[in-house]
Amino acid sequence: MKKWLVILMSLLTMMVLAACTANEDAGKEKDDSGSDDGAEAAEEDSGEKVLYLNNSKEPTSFDPAIGFDAQSWNSLNNLMEGLTRLGEDHTPEAAIAEDWDVSEDGKTYTFHLRENANWSNGDPVTSDDFVYAWERLLDPETGSAAAFLGYFIEGGEDFNSGEGSADDLGLTAVDDKTFEVQLENPTGYFLHVLTNPAFFPVNKAVAEDNPDWHTEADSFVSNGPFALETWKHDDEMMMVKNEEYWDADTVKLDKVHWAMVDNENTEYQMYQSDELDASDIPADLSDELIDGDDVAMEEQGGLEFYRFNVNEEPFTNKKIRKAFALAANREEIAQYVVKNGVEPAFGFVSPGFTSPDDGDFRDANGDLVTFEPDEAKKLLAEGMEEEGYDELPPVTLSYSTDDTNKAIAESLQNMFSDALDVDVTLENKEWNVFQEEQKELKHQLSRSSFLFDYADPINFLESFITDSSMNRTGWSNEAYDQLIKDAKAEKDEGKRWDLMYEAEALLAEEMPLFPIRYYNQVEVIKDGVTGILRHPVGYLELKHADVE
Amino acid sequence: MLRYILKRLLIMIVTIWIIVTLTFVLMISIPGSPFNSERGTNENVQANLEAHYNLDKPYHIQYLLYLKSIATFDFGPSIKQPGQTVNDLLGRGFPVSLELGLVTIIVAVISGIILGILAALKHNGILDYAAMSFAVLGISIPNFVLATLLIQELAVNWQIFPPATWSSPAHMVLPVIALATGPMAIIARLTRSTMLEVLTQDYIKMARAKGLSPWKIVVKHALRNALMPVITIMGTLLASILTGTFVIEKIFAIPGMGKYFVESINQRDYPVIMGTTVFYSTFLIFMLFLVDIAYGILDPRIKINKKGGE
Repeated sequence: MKKWLVILMSLLTMMVLAACTANEDAGKEKDDSGSDDGAEAAEEDSGEKVLYLNNSKEPTSFDPAIGFDAQSWNSLNNLMEGLTRLGEDHTPEAAIAEDWDVSEDGKTYTFHLRENANWSNGDPVTSDDFVYAWERLLDPETGSAAAFLGYFIEGGEDFNSGEGSADDLGLTAVDDKTFEVQLENPTGYFLHVLTNPAFFPVNKAVAEDNPDWHTEADSFVSNGPFALETWKHDDEMMMVKNEEYWDADTVKLDKVHWAMVDNENTEYQMYQSDELDASDIPADLSDELIDGDDVAMEEQGGLEFYRFNVNEEPFTNKKIRKAFALAANREEIAQYVVKNGVEPAFGFVSPGFTSPDDGDFRDANGDLVTFEPDEAKKLLAEGMEEEGYDELPPVTLSYSTDDTNKAIAESLQNMFSDALDVDVTLENKEWNVFQEEQKELKHQLSRSSFLFDYADPINFLESFITDSSMNRTGWSNEAYDQLIKDAKAEKDEGKRWDLMYEAEALLAEEMPLFPIRYYNQVEVIKDGVTGILRHPVGYLELKHADVE
Repeated sequence: MLRYILKRLLIMIVTIWIIVTLTFVLMISIPGSPFNSERGTNENVQANLEAHYNLDKPYHIQYLLYLKSIATFDFGPSIKQPGQTVNDLLGRGFPVSLELGLVTIIVAVISGIILGILAALKHNGILDYAAMSFAVLGISIPNFVLATLLIQELAVNWQIFPPATWSSPAHMVLPVIALATGPMAIIARLTRSTMLEVLTQDYIKMARAKGLSPWKIVVKHALRNALMPVITIMGTLLASILTGTFVIEKIFAIPGMGKYFVESINQRDYPVIMGTTVFYSTFLIFMLFLVDIAYGILDPRIKINKKGGE
């Protein structure tokens, strides 16, 4: 017993001693932080331009084929570069590819890679690197969630679904710097698709030598404006200007520091105490801050909407679906519920897609779903008559647990009650359960969202063809499927756009879903920080960014 | 003693096995999948991913695979952070949580005990009331409210400490205050009430009568007995604070392991759920075990060897 006492006592003493040292450290803390700040100030004095940003979370993966989300690709977009890159006008520009030829039928693209395009370790970027990366993207073994983006490539879908082989892919490395791609269909927007990080090259030699090259800063090789200097997982990252980058002269920043703060209040507080150069606006402070001078606002291609389940009463009836859609006052929801300067959606495809005749898709196809309470009431009565209802079957509106979703659901509940005299029940579920149920068509009316992967309306429109994984309404319409199929195969851009206009109008006519609002990207930015580029469709761009 | 420890170890293993099994059953019975997305994952891709992580196998095979991974302490790769294994996540998150937790515990215990003793000695005096009102405040204010308040005042308005992240000792001050206040208040109240009780006992009177200094009486005779309830709550307190606290770590952007507990469940990242649960439960059970041993040492009336022998 005595022995134990001695051991325990000595352990306790050690702990107390440890405590004392820790406390001594705590006493020194102020000085330490002082010297830290001093170091930062010194860095700035020496003329180093450092931009402090927040990535909010640890990137899922810097493997281009795997990290299919904003927290991976917003940062990765500045480390790497594909054949094309989005420019300051949000359109694709020559990047690793200096120029390209497109065949007569629009299905073969031949890219000529820059002679001076190199990896950060000095290796040249070759067409083999692209073939290697894209084959990996589509390889079923890779398990890439972004693989569907590669279905444009000939044989892509077959290979990914395990039916074809890598040899049948339309990818050819003609020589080191010439890369040929065969497409399934003439894809007018293919150059924009290529700006997506899923199509970044991978340094084949490095990746074959070390398959985990992308998990640590030491082994990471980049070919974009910046290189990865340090990466403390779940903590911070430091990027430095990549001197090997072909356009290094354009890059003005010396370093970009990324914090990973997953709390918008903390993020904004760090911005206030000058630890970050840009921050999102916390929802509670939106009213206060949104009109400030430091606010930067940019559209974001996408739509918040509600799905009907067309297999479930009463939404089996088109008129009843339309009645609900017309009873929602989108303007009010955008202005008073979502706030932050978002626009209400009166159509499905968000504004910002330029047609071949330089118009905007949205303007050309006009307002398709507006707020018409009287018309809504009439349609509901007609629909009920058609179905022979004396009373509308009960309706439950489902959403995934979230403050904004809840606020929107509650205002919709009010609007349905005011305009249609219908009392809908609200139901919220944890996000993952909600997704699962929506997939299995267990909801009647459920909240959804969509963000564009590449800048063409077809990206959204093709979601609603029969059995698409993004459909989730049970809606199936032969005419619609045919329109989308034709649009995808159409070589003439003018005709293709006409088909898409028609498809969107059909969507509004059938109303398997109804729009709520478009997305935007709002942030506060410090004085003296310029050139941070956010594309409506695409990822964060720091190539042109600068700090004073 | 040795027999007692062996017996406890055996019970610990059985307990962990029960926890693992329950976790597995709960895990597969909640709807959802790690591959769900707003975008709707393509069926081919989903099938490929499930095959990749053995999720296409029947449940009993998955269960055996999990047991195997636990037995070998190799939980495999995280599903939501590919390229990182669960061991990587725990290996870098736990030291951070441990550092924060140890400092927090030490601050909480020392200040809590001191507050409690002072309050007991000055029973019904101003100091007592002040200390106890402070303790009540500490218990009632949730730590995340305190955290936000501390950041707003000390970091944003006064700019004394950095608001968040984890790179220098100065970054530790605010989270430690936010985390330690609650436990400190609990410890202070516990110490005060038991201290008051102990101070009225005969052996303390006896010690006084012998002419010992008040200081010696408190530290040598009263405190040892007064600490028993504190020791009791230390086990759970240590386990919960040392393995990371989700909310505080999230608010202060501390790269500890607290977030893995919660986020792995939200994301259905099965290997991480398993890894964190096993880690936490083992840690908790071990701490409770240490507390039991400590009882026996601090209070001779509790005889561990006899209990184990029976």
